[in-house]
Amino acid sequence: MHCSGSTSAAPESLHPSLWLASQLARSHTRCVDTGHAALSAQLPGGGWPTGTLVDLLIQQPGIGELRLLRPALAEVAKRRIVLLQPPHPPQALALAALGVPPSQVIWLRAKQTADALWAAEQVLRSGSCGALLFWQSHARADSLRRLHQAGETLFFLMRPLAAQQDASPAPLRLALRPQAGGIEIDFIKRRGPQRDAPLFLPLTSYLHQRHATLDRTAPAPVTARGLRTELVH
Amino acid sequence: MLEQERVLVASPAALAAGVRVGMRRGGVLMLLPDARIHERDPALEDQARQAVALALLQYTPQVAEDEESTLLMDVGASLTLFGGILALCARVRANVRALGFTVALAASPTARGAWLLARAEAGRAIQMETLVRRLDRLAVLLAPPARAYAAWFEGIGCSTLGELRRLPRPGLQRRCGGALLELLDAAYGLAPELFEWIAPPETFHARLELFDRIDDAERLLAGARRLLLQLVGWLTARQLAVERITLRLEHERGRVARPPTCVEVVLAEPAWRDEHLVRLLKERLAKLVLDAPVIGLGLEALQVQPMAPPSESLFPEPGGTEEDRMRMLELLAARLGADNVLQPLPKADYRPEQANAWVPVQQKVRDKARDAQLPPDTMQLPRPTWILAKPIALLMRDHRPFYGSPLRMASNPERIEAGWWNGPQTRDYFIAEGQDHTLYWVYRERIGADDAEPRWFLHGLFG
Repeated sequence: MHCSGSTSAAPESLHPSLWLASQLARSHTRCVDTGHAALSAQLPGGGWPTGTLVDLLIQQPGIGELRLLRPALAEVAKRRIVLLQPPHPPQALALAALGVPPSQVIWLRAKQTADALWAAEQVLRSGSCGALLFWQSHARADSLRRLHQAGETLFFLMRPLAAQQDASPAPLRLALRPQAGGIEIDFIKRRGPQRDAPLFLPLTSYLHQRHATLDRTAPAPVTARGLRTELVH
Repeated sequence: MLEQERVLVASPAALAAGVRVGMRRGGVLMLLPDARIHERDPALEDQARQAVALALLQYTPQVAEDEESTLLMDVGASLTLFGGILALCARVRANVRALGFTVALAASPTARGAWLLARAEAGRAIQMETLVRRLDRLAVLLAPPARAYAAWFEGIGCSTLGELRRLPRPGLQRRCGGALLELLDAAYGLAPELFEWIAPPETFHARLELFDRIDDAERLLAGARRLLLQLVGWLTARQLAVERITLRLEHERGRVARPPTCVEVVLAEPAWRDEHLVRLLKERLAKLVLDAPVIGLGLEALQVQPMAPPSESLFPEPGGTEEDRMRMLELLAARLGADNVLQPLPKADYRPEQANAWVPVQQKVRDKARDAQLPPDTMQLPRPTWILAKPIALLMRDHRPFYGSPLRMASNPERIEAGWWNGPQTRDYFIAEGQDHTLYWVYRERIGADDAEPRWFLHGLFG
């Protein structure tokens, strides 16, 4: 009993790809920091893994999925960022506000699923892009498996929540739902312990900066009142 | 194949059927009534030799044409670059096979020696001693000047070059002339050799007559590949890189004549390697719908520029060079279409639709020009990541816009009123929040604000 306890104490010392069900796996690939400490702590390797498929299941486009990826995208924006088949035309100014300069963005449109998958494969194989964001509602697991290319490219596959039931070769799958002032993340699959409670992540949005500046000017009448009381005395 | 009504070469199938070299046409037709008989065409042979010579120019600038359909290449300076003589021979062999010809390849320290080895199909001799040993064993009649004296050589019992060398030189010179001795000296490295190297033409055109009527792209690519090989040789010899090439697909002439189809490939980054050009052509040909079968191919280099020297950085850049990136984008554009590979080119316009302009990646945009169009502080400007191609008119419930759930305004209005010159817009934009906390970018049309019911539209989503 004691013997088995001591061997299971450090399974990672036996082989780097072993880990206990209660602990997070260590990542072999380079990871890009998510920029959100609470999220990084929950991911094996402490960040978004490069060169592997990351499945993001989103309730609908426009719930803050890019704001979630903003710190990571800004970090890899030295190289190109490819948007493949986004649900709507992307807006360059908004991407610039996310920290991705317009000169680094490429928008790919594909008429057929086969073309889109081919394009994703080409982008990943060339390895010259910082990140690939791929929106695809129907993708078969075997065609996704082709997209596992070791490399330095961050690869996010955006799929609807309904795809949660399908099998996926992605080692990391997260479901995203909007929440007041942030986003709620469900860990569907990760190399680590099962986590049932969703993680709430506040997204410090650049959108609310306008309100912040307004709030800061608000204390002015208070001082005015103070002055008035001085005048009365 | 016939020359002067006599069989010159026959296919293995014909040989099996009893056709022999030297047979007459009638004899062949008696054995094989449906044999395909071709006349030997010196012009076509000439073309083929030139095509091969052009393709081989990629290995050395010194390629010379010699008698009896041989090409001589001086590869002394190219061995290190191409990884040694074995690797080079393998590449040459592969290239000639890709062009659709068979080759007998030989290499030796002297050009004439290599010529003799190739004619005898006796392989490589790298060391001078090996060459001498091999040459000594070759038949005398391989040397063209000796053939006129075949009977005399047979009479004196001299059948190999080694025996020929042992004959007294003055006597040999008197009987057979100086040409034979010169050839011997050159082959054994005793006398210098001079050649007239092929000069690559000023402009590049290559044509290929296809043997059949072809209507699928896969087989067209095999033909195009032959032309590309020649193009690569020409580019290397002239130290050029190509920016624009055209592949002309010629259709049947005659009654149903139609103009040739042109496939033009424009490169963002000039290239001189065939793998990339082949991949681009493959994607383009796969997209092409052929109206009529193709009987001929033509390749032209329309726009060339001097080859850029290779980058001198010691360490490879992570993620490849700018050329790699360009190559990837070209490949994507070739399959998806240039209109579907886009880069942003924002315009300084208040109206969101006009400001958010995207142009094909191939269009050259200077970073400075692009930055000049950006507003000074993009962070202060709330813009949604996704902008709908066409605004969606929103339903109204209880005097509130409704999209899935009632929308609550979460920001001050941003008034945009511009474009009186083309498509005026007078709108108040708000950030609205649905009940599930999704943020929307909505606007209220201000034209017609006098109406009882204001009109609301959804225009963007905050990703």
